Amino acid sequence: MQDGVLLTKVDDFLNWGRKNSLWPMTFGLACCAIEMMATGASKYDLERFGCGAFMATPRRADLMIVAGTVTLKMASRIKLLYDQMPEPKYVISMGSCANKGGPYWQHGYHVLKGVDEIVPVDVYVPGCPPRPEALIEGLMTLQKKIANERLLRDKWVKHA
Amino acid sequence: MHDQWAELINSKASGANATVHKAEVGDSSITVEAGKLKEACQALYDGGFNVLQVITGTDYLEENPRIEVSYILADFTNNHELILKVKLPRENPEVDSVVSIWKAANFLERETFDMVGVRFKDHPDHRRILCPQDWEGFPLRKDYEAAKEYNGMEVYPEDKLNLDDQVFGTKTAATAVSNKAPMTNGRY
Repeated sequence: MQDGVLLTKVDDFLNWGRKNSLWPMTFGLACCAIEMMATGASKYDLERFGCGAFMATPRRADLMIVAGTVTLKMASRIKLLYDQMPEPKYVISMGSCANKGGPYWQHGYHVLKGVDEIVPVDVYVPGCPPRPEALIEGLMTLQKKIANERLLRDKWVKHA
Repeated sequence: MHDQWAELINSKASGANATVHKAEVGDSSITVEAGKLKEACQALYDGGFNVLQVITGTDYLEENPRIEVSYILADFTNNHELILKVKLPRENPEVDSVVSIWKAANFLERETFDMVGVRFKDHPDHRRILCPQDWEGFPLRKDYEAAKEYNGMEVYPEDKLNLDDQVFGTKTAATAVSNKAPMTNGRY
């Protein structure tokens, strides 16, 4: 029994697995999506965080990065995509538009004032658009958040 | 060149009453009668304007209320560009579709309908293109008022309003604290 034994808590073990294999959904709405692509590409390399596998379907994704302006027309589609994602699921709101309407605040008759009006947001990343470093910071914040989850507590009835 | 084109329109489409507006600065334009637009466009197409670049609508509300629809045409062979305009009433504006002349007109006319509410007669697919199909009103009209709510979503949520940020230099410590809303607002 000298090697091959690892002592850990169930919570820590599952959270460690979850936070290091966040699969985001291939999903961009506006110019923020360009920064998100840059973050996923070789220079910033989101795969270092286990987060580079952009899934082409919400059913395989854990993380939705709302990158861009959420118009009222798009809002119902985003809600649908979010509902199609399996639990546990997380949302990063990327950029000023997704956070709070951004430059469309005053005259944006067609813009939803923040994606948190329709889906629960875990991390807000400010910027217009945020640099890749900022998105990585947001992702690391989300990872810290996941690392502190408690499996059997009320976290899992949050989305019910 | 514009006089020549106006002459061409008037000779091919009688009653089009093409008048040239010569701009001292910027682009000159030709205005035709709305009822004769299609004939005028056909004449210009036959005269070499084989490309339709833009159709757009402008709402003039204050003096001489009207809606102007502008057609920007191009002749790439001879390197010419022409702005053709029609003036329409603000109530129930309607003009002939030019899709049968330039296919590009299809989406452009739909956009003009979507934004300023001009109807295009005989358009093959007369729907909105940018706004949702159940949208009310035409956003680029000068008297457009944004809806308070769409599909149960609040467009201007009161609890997110923070006017201090919009007026620079008026923010004091006291107002900053009073306007500070909790981030989640108890939504979840």
